[in-house]
Amino acid sequence: MNFKHKYLFLLPGFIVLLGILIFPIGFTVRLSLSSWDSFFPGLDFIGLENYTRLFTDDPRFWESFQRLSFMSVITVFLQYTIGFALAHMVWKEIKFQRFFRVLFLIPMMTTPVIMTVIWKTVFHESLGPVNDFFSLFGVTPLWLSSEALSKVTVIIVEVWQWTPFMFLLLLAGLLSLPKEPFLAASIDGAGPIRKFVYVTFPLMAPISIGAIIIRLIEASKIMDTVYVLTSGGPGTSSETSSFYIFIKGLREFQFGYSAALSLTYLIIMIISLTIIAKMLVKLMIRN
Amino acid sequence: MKKMIKISTLTVTASLLAVAAQADKWSDQFPHIKNTGDIAGECSYESMSKKDYSGQKLTINTHAVPVIGEPTALHAEQFSKLTGAEVNVIHTPAGDLYSKAMVPFQAGQAPYDIVFGFSNFIRDWKQYLQPVPAKYVNMRQMQDVTQSHIDVNSWDGEMIQFPIDGDRHYLKYRKDVIDNPEYQAKYKAETGNELRIPQTWKEYGEMASFFNGWDWDNDGELEYGSAEVMKKDDLMFAAFFSRSVAYAKNPRVPGGYFFDLESMEPLINGPGFVEALTDWVEATKYVPPGGINFGLGDEINSFGGGQTLFSFSWDDAFVAAMQDDSPIKNKVGAAPLPGSDRVWNRSSGAWENEYNQAPYIVWGWTAAVAKASKNQDVAFDYLCFFANDANHQADIAIGRFGVNPFKKSDFVPELYVERQGWDPEIAKQYADTLMEMEEGSTNRVFPLRVPGVFQFNSAIATATSKALAGQLSPQEALDEAAADWKKIVKRIGADTIREAYAIGVALEDNL
Amino acid sequence: MGTFYVTLKYTAVTLWSMFVIAPFLWALSTSFKDFNSVTSGATYIPWVDFEPTLEGWRVLLRSPAQGGVNIVEPYLNSIFVTSLASFLSILLGTLAAYALSRFTFKAGFVKNDDITFFFISQRIMPPVVLAIPFFIMLGKLGLLDTLLGLVMVYVVLLMPIAVWIMVDFFNKVPVEIDETALIDGCNPIQAFIKVVLPNSIPGMVVAGLFCMIFGWTDFFFAFILTFTEVQLLPVAIVSLNSSITPWWSLSAAALVSVAPLIVVAFIVERYLSKGNLSGALK
Repeated sequence: MNFKHKYLFLLPGFIVLLGILIFPIGFTVRLSLSSWDSFFPGLDFIGLENYTRLFTDDPRFWESFQRLSFMSVITVFLQYTIGFALAHMVWKEIKFQRFFRVLFLIPMMTTPVIMTVIWKTVFHESLGPVNDFFSLFGVTPLWLSSEALSKVTVIIVEVWQWTPFMFLLLLAGLLSLPKEPFLAASIDGAGPIRKFVYVTFPLMAPISIGAIIIRLIEASKIMDTVYVLTSGGPGTSSETSSFYIFIKGLREFQFGYSAALSLTYLIIMIISLTIIAKMLVKLMIRN
Repeated sequence: MKKMIKISTLTVTASLLAVAAQADKWSDQFPHIKNTGDIAGECSYESMSKKDYSGQKLTINTHAVPVIGEPTALHAEQFSKLTGAEVNVIHTPAGDLYSKAMVPFQAGQAPYDIVFGFSNFIRDWKQYLQPVPAKYVNMRQMQDVTQSHIDVNSWDGEMIQFPIDGDRHYLKYRKDVIDNPEYQAKYKAETGNELRIPQTWKEYGEMASFFNGWDWDNDGELEYGSAEVMKKDDLMFAAFFSRSVAYAKNPRVPGGYFFDLESMEPLINGPGFVEALTDWVEATKYVPPGGINFGLGDEINSFGGGQTLFSFSWDDAFVAAMQDDSPIKNKVGAAPLPGSDRVWNRSSGAWENEYNQAPYIVWGWTAAVAKASKNQDVAFDYLCFFANDANHQADIAIGRFGVNPFKKSDFVPELYVERQGWDPEIAKQYADTLMEMEEGSTNRVFPLRVPGVFQFNSAIATATSKALAGQLSPQEALDEAAADWKKIVKRIGADTIREAYAIGVALEDNL
Repeated sequence: MGTFYVTLKYTAVTLWSMFVIAPFLWALSTSFKDFNSVTSGATYIPWVDFEPTLEGWRVLLRSPAQGGVNIVEPYLNSIFVTSLASFLSILLGTLAAYALSRFTFKAGFVKNDDITFFFISQRIMPPVVLAIPFFIMLGKLGLLDTLLGLVMVYVVLLMPIAVWIMVDFFNKVPVEIDETALIDGCNPIQAFIKVVLPNSIPGMVVAGLFCMIFGWTDFFFAFILTFTEVQLLPVAIVSLNSSITPWWSLSAAALVSVAPLIVVAFIVERYLSKGNLSGALK
């Protein structure tokens, strides 16, 4: 292809992105080398002190990372499986197809900051409908105030909110699949299960991987859900890295330290995601 | 002192009630003050109408609607009409008030002329604020403010924040239970103790446990012992400190409550605090389901909705309970926070078996003018107008406004009986309790107001919430908090913190 | 086997539908409640369980001086900012994605996949730490508290999504289509516009929807970067969240803010099945 044209396509977006981001990213790096906080604003230079602190003196950060990995992997896995199942079910002929397709999109269109407050009222242990239902069986599960259940509640809300994301991507992917491989498989006498395993799934692999990666990125940033539902509690049992970084940054105003945490988080995420992407490719694309 | 207060309140009452009889031209135009009409003063409606600020603009960052947010907007409208100034108000949720103001300040911008916040922001943001000019401090309106509220808004004798609201923690209880002869007899029979206003936290716990988990007001729903702010957020540690003051604030041991002033060693893992945290962990057994995750809003819903016997944080729950359409109106009472039968003496390293009680002069809403504001005159006039007698009287009668008494002339029971339909006995109890806390006590604890205050608060919040969740024992949790505090002190600098902390200690030690 | 699968399908779909709708029904019911209806335990049906009131809804139209938050202007602001930012993001993102899908880039050891990854890695950064630098930047440009300033920030946040999704979709459009067009005498730009784009409509529609969603529902940046002149919908609604959480007005607000996107969802669904490839190759 013609050499000149490729830059014409790429550069506008690339330059806009780089141009606007260069200052913030650069500033963040510089910030991480300072001790900017509420009382001493300003970019003094303290070298790698913030990094030393976070590697040697901050078990809470690493714990939150553990929790984050656990929760985001489970959440994304559930979203992927449920999303794919739903997409597959409304792909072909089904009554009320349009209705279901539109309905399944709606949860992700809600504003998280507001919707999570609604969820808080839903799961409210004394005044909410969920426990009203459970009280029929004589139990009052502590959705927001027990160590184990608080994570479950966060996962439930996340799955409700973001499964539509997977659903939509995968549905669009399914709809743009070519017909030939399916015709070929039918001619070969394959039933629905074999069609799925040997034709649908492998053809959907690239989109699946793309969807999973982007969902993992977004899931790792969950803030509103944790902040509104449990404030990272009880204790620190539902505290994730992004929540911890937020607290250190905008609540305690330790911006310098928060910047160092963010950059470390960024690097760890990039490394993990690259590894995960490679793993997924191996897993899903069997030649 | 008491006689002076009595005389001045009587005078004020008389004049207020007299004035109430006549509507004046200002209350016709501004129905908000129809009960009192305009009250004379430097910042009254009359005075403000003489000022001409047309062409000037004020930008205010305040709390969400309606608590403080609605009165801010309402007074902004009124101010605008009277003086011709353009007043823009934006509303921010409580947890974000600090960051919404500080991010611009720290980035060198000053988009707001007036910022609302909590009075314990003072040390962190005072570098960006304009102190209140003497002319306002010397006004009669300001002289009427109780000493505690002047202290809480000042730094080292200089008034930095403008008092516009009062806040305190006090005990609230269900009168229809505690004063109920049947329940009194039942309680005595089953426990051998008197059912009365709890004098100590241990009594509080016993009574709350007794009344936990059954329907004692016959409304078909289960009730519980106590509603407390336990959710790990910006406010819960205030509840913890309220509980610890009785055990750890020893009037005979000056020199610091949170830290030892000399050495800047944290004191929060001392036996007094540990005892309080142990009580608090016990409390998780007598809160409603989900009580461990109650924020202030949930506490208000719970006690104000009639779900619990006790509550003890800010005014809001009491105000909610006394609303006209509340099912428990006139069934609640106010009392000072429970004390303790013994108090820790950190000098001698032993418990002293003497009854101890101390009010925690907890922070509340406040407002301040930015140093970089180009309209400081207008801004201060607005704040003065906000808090003028007529507006203030009207505001405290509207529960959802969140404006609570802080002037000596507020503690007149008749006001509540007349304007809000309170039971006279309850109104008297309320006025007496608050007045005693504000003016009467010498054994007080002021909130921590040092640089980096949020880091300290956050550490305590995390640690205590771990104890409440059962992840750590109270001693372990507070040890962790103390270790965190040491690190924070080291990072910010012991001398910097000591300098700031000394100011609070001076107030506490009545120097 | 067939009917078993069909029953299973309908059951599953129905169950999930109920899960999706439940919180909205609860919000609808709650939007008609008041303090007492909420604090006495869970209530469901108006007139049967509690006395309904329109207060939660009226609050959304009243001014703050009367205890409300007028959401009309923030609503319009959000529509403007979201639409413009999404449009620009799709425009720039689609172009960039096409390049990354079709052409080879090599600058040292940096290849196509790395550039694509660079785009998407912008989404990893926790927003908190970007608060101050974006604030300073917009401050220097005089774009704080302006619609344009917000659009600029949102383009940077949304473009990566557009790129990421479109690269996948372009990869599915066989290169033969481009080559056929070129052989027919088009230059690459014409090939792109006339042949490739029409086949990627599902992708663009999906990417567009995601951009609109993330733009419409963002709270953080709208919160930090605006003061009084410009208010976006999420910030306006959150200004109702005082010490007593108003379950009723927030429920009403949640329903009101999801409404426009439902309309967009209908449009998206319609375009999903267009641009099916099997016809084009013949």
